[in-house]
Amino acid sequence: MLYFPQLSSGAAGQFPITRQRSARTVVNQSCQGYQVKLADPGAAITSWHLSFEEMDDGELAALEALFQAVAGRLTPFTFLDPADNLLAWSEQQTQPVWQADPLLTVTGNVADPTGGTAAYQVSNPTAATLTLQQLINAPASLDYCLSLYARSAQSTRVWLVRGTATEAQAISPQWTRLTSAGQLQDAADSISFGIGLDPGATLDVFGIQAEAQTAASMYKQTTAVGGVYPNARFRDDTLTFTTVGPSRHSCELDIVNVEYL
Amino acid sequence: MQYPATKTLQFNTDAIRFLDGTEQRFRDNPSVLHRWTIQLALLDASELAAFDQFFESNQGRFGSFSFTDPWDGTVYQNCSLAADTFGFQLSGEMQGKTSLIVCENLT
Repeated sequence: MLYFPQLSSGAAGQFPITRQRSARTVVNQSCQGYQVKLADPGAAITSWHLSFEEMDDGELAALEALFQAVAGRLTPFTFLDPADNLLAWSEQQTQPVWQADPLLTVTGNVADPTGGTAAYQVSNPTAATLTLQQLINAPASLDYCLSLYARSAQSTRVWLVRGTATEAQAISPQWTRLTSAGQLQDAADSISFGIGLDPGATLDVFGIQAEAQTAASMYKQTTAVGGVYPNARFRDDTLTFTTVGPSRHSCELDIVNVEYL
Repeated sequence: MQYPATKTLQFNTDAIRFLDGTEQRFRDNPSVLHRWTIQLALLDASELAAFDQFFESNQGRFGSFSFTDPWDGTVYQNCSLAADTFGFQLSGEMQGKTSLIVCENLT
């Protein structure tokens, strides 16, 4: 699997990061000013402008290797948006992207820590540990951070599932942000993120987020589009970098994700 | 909204000028249309994500929504984003910057 490399620090990008989304709407306007609009979701384009400073030799070599492997803008690679939540439908666990074990119950419209009602309650009425997970098509070997807010009046712990790693985290009746971060020795081309509940456990969950970095950033709500772009390409056929000293490189590049290509 | 905020009122008037210099004018739109330019700075990633999701859910300028005029509180029921693009720049933590334009549609 070809994918955009992380920096050696585990960071997915450096500031500043610029992202632009473009939609396509066909508009027929009458002379009176009335408009008839037709959306063309298949023509959507997402683009990023990334700047890197003080890259070391290894980081530059990884970037250069990807550029050569995809032959410039010819072939696609997987790009994990450094400014987004990798999980789709972060507040709608009833969507098909979420895989809930049988008999696990998920109820929405629960009060969340931001004052809304976007949290949901998860209950495990069985005698076995059950999970709620989402699989993303991204290399399991990268640094990832899973984060979520949880609370429970009855249960004292929740399992955070990050690929093959599961960590028990303590919870209380107050909203607490939990994180599970690290790198797995796993060569798989996909990785799951989610939660596991002990038998009989019931808890409220909000703001589940996965990021390709070593620590959690602010929660970002997602709907149908998560931060995984399997059809990304370099925008240009050239990759220019500047070296100002031994193992001190910088470069700027543009990446585009076009669904119809 | 943040300062500076811009609001535009727009009529659509056709003017026909005759050989003798006189003019006949008539309007194409039945009423004035409003447009708001919203420039935002010092946003955090969560706020940027909310705007991004709003753009996605509207599919650019395709969707319509109601918008409350921040100047006088009037609710305009039929508004759209004016452009099919939405971008932001994140220069650091809590250093996001973006802008968008909301326009009123004829109803």
